[in-house]
Amino acid sequence: MTTQLTRAAAPVKSSGRKSGRARGAQSADVGRPGFAWAVPATIFFVLFAILPLLAVAALSFMSWGGIGDPEWVGLDNWNRVFDDPVMIKSIWLTLLLTVLGVVLQTPLSILIGVWAAGTQRNRAVISAVYFVPLLLSSTAVSVLWRALLDPNFGIPSEATWLFGDGNLFGKQTTAIGVLAFVSTWQFTPLHSLIYQGAARAIPQVLYQAAEIDGAGRVRQFFHITLPQLRNSIITSMILMVVGGLTTFETVLILTQGGPGTDTTISAYYMYQKAFKSFDFGAGAVIALLLVVAATIISLIVVRLSGYDKMRSTMEGVS
Amino acid sequence: MRTRTRFSRMLVGGVTLGMALSLSACGDDGGSGSSDGKIHVLVYGDATNKVEKAVVAEFNKTSKVKAVLDTIPGATYQQKLQTIINTPQAPDVFYNWGAGSIQPFVKAGLLMPLDDFIKDDPKLKSAFLPSVFNAAQVDGKSYGVPMRGTQPVLLFSNDKVLKDAGTKAPKTWDELIDSVKKLKKSGVTPIALGGGDQWPTLMWFEYLYDRIAGPDLLEKAVGGDKDAWASEDSKKALNKLKELVDTGAFGTNYDSVKYTDGGSPALVARGKAGYELMGSWYYSQQQENAKEFAEKDLGYNSFPTIDGGKGDPANVVGNTNNYYSVMKKTKHPEAVAKFLKLMYSDKFIKQQLAIGNLPTTTNTEKFLDTAADPKYARYQFDLVKKAPSFQLSWDQAYPQSASEQMHQAVQQFFNGSLDVDGFIKAMQALPTA
Amino acid sequence: MRRRPNYLAGVAAVAWLIIVALPLYVMLSATVQSKGDYAKGSPLSWPEHFTFENYSGAFDEGFGQFFVNTLIVTVAVVGIVVVLVPPLAYAVVRSRSRVASGVFRLFLLGLAIPAQAVIVPMFYLISEAGLYDNLIGVILPTAAFCLPISTLILSGAMRDIGHELFEAMAVDGASPRRMFLQLVLPLSKGGISTIVVFSALQAWNGFLFPLVLTQSDSTKVITLGLYNFQTEHGINVPGTLAAVFMSMVPILLVYLFARRALVQGLMGVGGK
Repeated sequence: MTTQLTRAAAPVKSSGRKSGRARGAQSADVGRPGFAWAVPATIFFVLFAILPLLAVAALSFMSWGGIGDPEWVGLDNWNRVFDDPVMIKSIWLTLLLTVLGVVLQTPLSILIGVWAAGTQRNRAVISAVYFVPLLLSSTAVSVLWRALLDPNFGIPSEATWLFGDGNLFGKQTTAIGVLAFVSTWQFTPLHSLIYQGAARAIPQVLYQAAEIDGAGRVRQFFHITLPQLRNSIITSMILMVVGGLTTFETVLILTQGGPGTDTTISAYYMYQKAFKSFDFGAGAVIALLLVVAATIISLIVVRLSGYDKMRSTMEGVS
Repeated sequence: MRTRTRFSRMLVGGVTLGMALSLSACGDDGGSGSSDGKIHVLVYGDATNKVEKAVVAEFNKTSKVKAVLDTIPGATYQQKLQTIINTPQAPDVFYNWGAGSIQPFVKAGLLMPLDDFIKDDPKLKSAFLPSVFNAAQVDGKSYGVPMRGTQPVLLFSNDKVLKDAGTKAPKTWDELIDSVKKLKKSGVTPIALGGGDQWPTLMWFEYLYDRIAGPDLLEKAVGGDKDAWASEDSKKALNKLKELVDTGAFGTNYDSVKYTDGGSPALVARGKAGYELMGSWYYSQQQENAKEFAEKDLGYNSFPTIDGGKGDPANVVGNTNNYYSVMKKTKHPEAVAKFLKLMYSDKFIKQQLAIGNLPTTTNTEKFLDTAADPKYARYQFDLVKKAPSFQLSWDQAYPQSASEQMHQAVQQFFNGSLDVDGFIKAMQALPTA
Repeated sequence: MRRRPNYLAGVAAVAWLIIVALPLYVMLSATVQSKGDYAKGSPLSWPEHFTFENYSGAFDEGFGQFFVNTLIVTVAVVGIVVVLVPPLAYAVVRSRSRVASGVFRLFLLGLAIPAQAVIVPMFYLISEAGLYDNLIGVILPTAAFCLPISTLILSGAMRDIGHELFEAMAVDGASPRRMFLQLVLPLSKGGISTIVVFSALQAWNGFLFPLVLTQSDSTKVITLGLYNFQTEHGINVPGTLAAVFMSMVPILLVYLFARRALVQGLMGVGGK
């Protein structure tokens, strides 16, 4: 008891040391870390990610082909990008693919994650296999799926009733379908892993209590598991949205934006502008648009879900 | 003026720096460029690097200035080159595709004209076939020395499939159309096409334009004459091509087939297609992947002639060669000159031939018997040597920045989402030099 | 507690297993065939003659050196992430400071920066710092780009730590440092192993930064080495896939190893 009392005195002193924020709110601030804890990582991150991004912002007002000196052109790049029909089309395609990704991957990865969280040995083995697609580089993923989907020698030739002549990459609808499917294949493991971890953390007592109340498996899932996975669902959705907006490798390797420009999503278009057409100014504009869009969407998700408020409600209780 | 460009440069490079700004004030060197008593040779990284490695080793045996070979993974070579070419990290000598691929660098004043080297050693020019050497000239000056092999595009065939369908390799366009119809009747895809890669589709345009309009049309177009694309010849070529596509010559699912994952060559090798138009590398590819077929039934022919066309039927299109170009700021020009001389040495030619490449020196002929496949090597060599014109692939003749849009237009014309006028418009919109 | 086996889930699990495993099977079977055999069959067919030439070929191309380089990069990146992220996530979750929530938004923004977009400035940054063609020059940006996702995941995990545990320690008079060491770290073992796995993956499969920031063979990493099997117009599916498979094995082992830590860490939470 006495030791507890003496220890309790110490943090008061230390919080007093903190930049004059000791306005009577001591009790809530007791034992709370100051922002100094965040400083090293933040400096590192600002140096190697935010500053380059600022340089990109500067580039968006310049004309630059990679060689020679950049020249100021004001809003020229921005105007060009907004007048470009391919760019407008790419925004719709990006949204479509992102939504498809969230709709396909969220239920699938929750189910897989919850299932894999079970302690049975066979589940452990099988879920280890589930994880493997995440290990493959995009090159490998593309080579594999291209081979599997070859219209003459792959799966489509064995199932013509389903695939017809197998011209999956030659039509917009099927090409988009393939892209959505392959990214689901590739990224579901990541999200399942997040859910698996979270599902394991759900206290077993909740289920035991429900069992006693006679709740079935389905009810347990909807009344216990899902609500308990809330944090993870938000984390995973943010990752999906951001990933959907910025991933372009699948497109680069599977369809190259084709047929024509029918699968040219914004991130791929940025890459094309910057590194195929060497129009770094326009590339920079698209990159900034993507960063802004993704940030806004994740902030909305955070705000709507109360992810950041969760803390304050809890703190209100204390 | 100078301060302004300096300022904008500092924004791009310098904004990232915060800390390092003080460093950059000290000057621009540092890095691994040419300052270290070595010459850096940058090449496209792939399975044929062994010859380049051998050449560098050979050079280092006698030279005081050592050469270092750096390889950049193939598909990303151009991206990396563009990033480093105007920085201290730029190489001294680098691999390229001639013409359009080096034009922007020449314009920016980064490359060294090789005319002085040639004055000192005329063989640097005279040892190579002129049609090939000239493809790396810009504004009348030479900027590249051929360093790998030439790769003309040929019409390959599965002769057994042709025979079963009662047809044979065509000499004229009409024969080709006839052959396509017979093949279709016999239930195979007449012509295999890796449309998913887009560049194989482009080859069909290149040959039709060359046969019908002759090589001048493209030369004009690349030079900035937009009317060339709208000419009668251009329309005629497009209509002929459309006709071929519409007869079902390529089947219906060619956009889902790739050459680069083995899809389209397998169609030919396994008797499911009659023809494929492809670069000369196709031959060794089939040798490796389908030896039995390659030895018995693989045929190779030049592209059919077209009645009334302006182009010489002996013309070829394809990749003339790859080239080494030299950066102006290299600190060891004499060493570089010595290095380039190895490109026409007997030893180098034999090494290239042994791995299936066909170097383009005038004396290559002497060594053809040492080639991996002497008969095929001789066929190609004669074809290239006799060709009045060797049309560089369009995506290499144009600046690199045009290739993406060009590939899109080509694909869209084939699948019908662009008509003749639409295609012409798309080509007119391409950036020229 | 005994529960009925869930047959429906079992069937679905097996169906997904097939979808996942089919391409993997294609990969493995391709790697043990010669190029000729691979081109002859369907991607789905069982290999007729087994050969290991594709694997030995990979070593002839200098894969040993590339392995070592990739390992150095991966270990260093994971090291940086594990040192920097837990304190950051701790501050994000527990600090009352406005700065800390601003920092969290900054990292959310960072999540959306495509590496492709910043690669050119990054190149200037690294070469001005004299780190071009040096593994350190690859490690620093790779680690920086691992931070946002790691922060998001770990702060999610830390939020799940019961509030009353902090309260108890606060009553006990514990300093933030002590809470971090004795409460937060032990209870977020699971989250930490997750970020270890993710950042190791990023570093191991990283392509763009090594591509642009290194040049010579002595600094080459595996992902760049994969191209040694292809030619400009060539096809070597089995060779490429063998290299892919070999590059995958070490990281699979890391995962399997970290998986146990993951499970243990999370069970620690459940047991309380």
